[in-house]
Amino acid sequence: MRISFIAVVVVATLFGHATAFAQRAPQRTSGSSLRELFEWANVAASRGDHANAIAGYRKLIEAGVHDPDVYFNLGTSFAQSGDYPRAILNYERALLLRPNETKASENLRDAEKALEEQRAELEGEATIQRSSSISDAAYGNVSEDALAYALLLANWVFFLALAAVSTGRRKHRFIYALLLGAGAVLLVAALGLATKAGLLRDGPRVVTLEDRVVLREGPDPRARLRGEARGGDRGELVGRDGDFVKLQLVSGLEGWTTASGVGLIDLDHDRH
Amino acid sequence: MRALALLIVALSAMPCFAGAATEPEVTVTLNATPNEAQVGDPVRLEVRVRARGGNIEDLQLRDLKKHLELEIVSHQTMRPMQFSFGFGSGVQKESSIANIYVLVPRAAGTYEFSPAVARVDGKTYRSEPLTLVIRPNGSNAIDPSDPASAPDGSSGGDLSGARYDSRAFLRTVVEPTEVYLGQQVDIKVYLYTRIRLSPQSVVPSKPAMDGFWVHDDPITSLQFETVSVKGQQYRAYPIQRSAAFPQRSGKLAVGAPKIAFDAGSGNFFDAPQRIERVGVPVTVRVKPLPPPVPANAVVGNYAIEARLDRQTVKTGDAVTLRVDAGGVGNVNDLRIDLPPIAGVRVLQPAIRDQRRLTNGQLSGTRSWEWILIAESPGEHRVPPIVLHFFDPETEAYETARTTALSFTATGATKPPEPTIKPVDTPRKPSTATFGPIRVYSALTRDRMPIRERGWFGWLLALPPVLFALVWLGAAVSRQRGQRGTTSGAIQRRLLREAESALQADDPRAFYDRIVASITHALDTRLNESVAGLPHTQLLARLSAEGFDEDLKQRLINELEGADFARFAASGVNRDEMERCLQRTTAIVERIQRAKSAG
Repeated sequence: MRISFIAVVVVATLFGHATAFAQRAPQRTSGSSLRELFEWANVAASRGDHANAIAGYRKLIEAGVHDPDVYFNLGTSFAQSGDYPRAILNYERALLLRPNETKASENLRDAEKALEEQRAELEGEATIQRSSSISDAAYGNVSEDALAYALLLANWVFFLALAAVSTGRRKHRFIYALLLGAGAVLLVAALGLATKAGLLRDGPRVVTLEDRVVLREGPDPRARLRGEARGGDRGELVGRDGDFVKLQLVSGLEGWTTASGVGLIDLDHDRH
Repeated sequence: MRALALLIVALSAMPCFAGAATEPEVTVTLNATPNEAQVGDPVRLEVRVRARGGNIEDLQLRDLKKHLELEIVSHQTMRPMQFSFGFGSGVQKESSIANIYVLVPRAAGTYEFSPAVARVDGKTYRSEPLTLVIRPNGSNAIDPSDPASAPDGSSGGDLSGARYDSRAFLRTVVEPTEVYLGQQVDIKVYLYTRIRLSPQSVVPSKPAMDGFWVHDDPITSLQFETVSVKGQQYRAYPIQRSAAFPQRSGKLAVGAPKIAFDAGSGNFFDAPQRIERVGVPVTVRVKPLPPPVPANAVVGNYAIEARLDRQTVKTGDAVTLRVDAGGVGNVNDLRIDLPPIAGVRVLQPAIRDQRRLTNGQLSGTRSWEWILIAESPGEHRVPPIVLHFFDPETEAYETARTTALSFTATGATKPPEPTIKPVDTPRKPSTATFGPIRVYSALTRDRMPIRERGWFGWLLALPPVLFALVWLGAAVSRQRGQRGTTSGAIQRRLLREAESALQADDPRAFYDRIVASITHALDTRLNESVAGLPHTQLLARLSAEGFDEDLKQRLINELEGADFARFAASGVNRDEMERCLQRTTAIVERIQRAKSAG
């Protein structure tokens, strides 16, 4: 009993310090120039000057701002200028940072629909390859940080309950229920975190940005054609060689193309 | 119900009346296919009786067993029966019996068959007689070594690409069999057959053509031409036509084709016979293109042309360069590299192919569309685009090239736009409303996910580590507790308690611990409790265990002395108690040694 008490105190102390540290860690804004740049881009966007609005939001991103609202505005500017693949890319990024945001999800669907309509108008039919994994669907509305905290909490509760079951003389049903519940949460959170961290994927997620992205058999412009991706198609980046990247599309098609034709959704990697 | 029963009875009775009223129509046939054959070639002999309105009782071919040189390798009997209903004529029954023999003649000669005899409703009916001529091997027109006719009917061809069979076989015709890498090879597969086949039942299997790029010319209906092979007339059905282009040099194999179809005479009473045939593989020798091979050279004969969709654009706008390369050959192999153009950004081309097969020759057009974006004002020149090809007719390389094109960009240099707007795909404004934009933002920077922060790993690892430590501590504690309950520990504890009683000058407790100590040592040694045993029985038990006399005597004396002293404790002095403790310690050790020796 004494051991359990000491363990609880240690855990509580460590967790308290960690949470406080975690709250301090993200650097919040930032100089007035960034704020001014954001407002300037917003004014341009509200006037319909999408080129300047896009340039402003891009400068913010280049300055290290990775905020879901900035990505949302950038996606909206692209969408309003008719560049739907880039709109899709930036809405995906906004949703990555703030997964449960309704408006970004709606705009993403609208951008995909508009791209399909635009293409169908020209070519008769159109399909955009979207990601369709079960894990993405299951954890789509939960942020990665929330899963990380859930994992930590469930980890502590699970091992405390396990210690109580192993060492305690009186074993209440409550402890067993706690052990099972914490174990289940631990598994779900671990799987979710692995999904979010991309451990279950072959590479970071990408969106093709050009209307037609030619996929070749090798990282060379003279290499044979293997297929073609269309703007807005989702895939994974599974290789890189100089200015070429190897894409694996949702359809399973793989091929090399120039890096300029694709945009990375996952922010841990290079930004487009 | 009653009406239905009457109808059935009436229908059942009708054949009787019909039979009674009319004479049965009976046909007896005796056929051999072929009538003339070689020794060893199978001959199909069919004896059939067909009767309309009568009951067939018997069908015999008496001469069959007479000709011992004709070996019967299979025999099949069929008895189909048919009822037909007609107003006025009542129910008519049509039945038949067919005996089909497959004979293999073992000796040449002329074999005469007397007519087959059938009995229908007690009457006898006969067929025509039959004569079967069997020639010795190599003596007639059906000579396997003879050249065969080509499918086009011209004589003098050979049977390459076929495994000959007198009834049906497959033949693969590959032309030419020696080609250059990328040159077209015509592959045709024919079914040669003397059997009447059912077109709906034909199931061909394509031969494997690994190493080829193949364009098929689909066959939508089976058409045949009559050809002569080894003196026999065959129907040659083309079942596959393909234009194949080798993709690597060396020897490439066109696999063996397969086919399955039903054969039948077209007669209702004949059950169809499933026939399967497999062809033979054919090898194509593929030569590499003669060196030196120009860049991106292909095989064929092509012309190339290029055009721009406009001659003047604003700087920053795009023009479309379209290049069409058309001609004879596999357009899938065509590659064109657009040379870099100063001041112009070139996007990836859109490529479209058109192919057509004319008289077995594949030709087509490949079109490239590049979007060129003028990034600086002035005249931009698109250099001639060159296509090298190797013409197998002349066995020489030739070159097709476009004329140089140019366009002019006017206006000041535009800053590069973040979006690329292809000029040929005008965007339709979407009905969706995006936005509104967000005017407030935390402008979060340097976002690092929780999982990548240093403390996360430590916090994650700490619980299992702590649990392991707690569990280890508990295990050590348990082990210590268990150690106090072992036999040796109890023994030591009892002697310590006796010593404590000695120090406390408590004889009763002292002798009580002495007795308990000796008893515990004996319990452990004998694996049973000796506490309640009388000393005589204890002595017998110790003797049975092999204790020596001295130890037994000392042990009994000590127990008796201790028992006595426990109840007369006042007469015991301290010295005696110290000696008793020493003796007991020695006795316990001897008991323990006796244990280890035993």
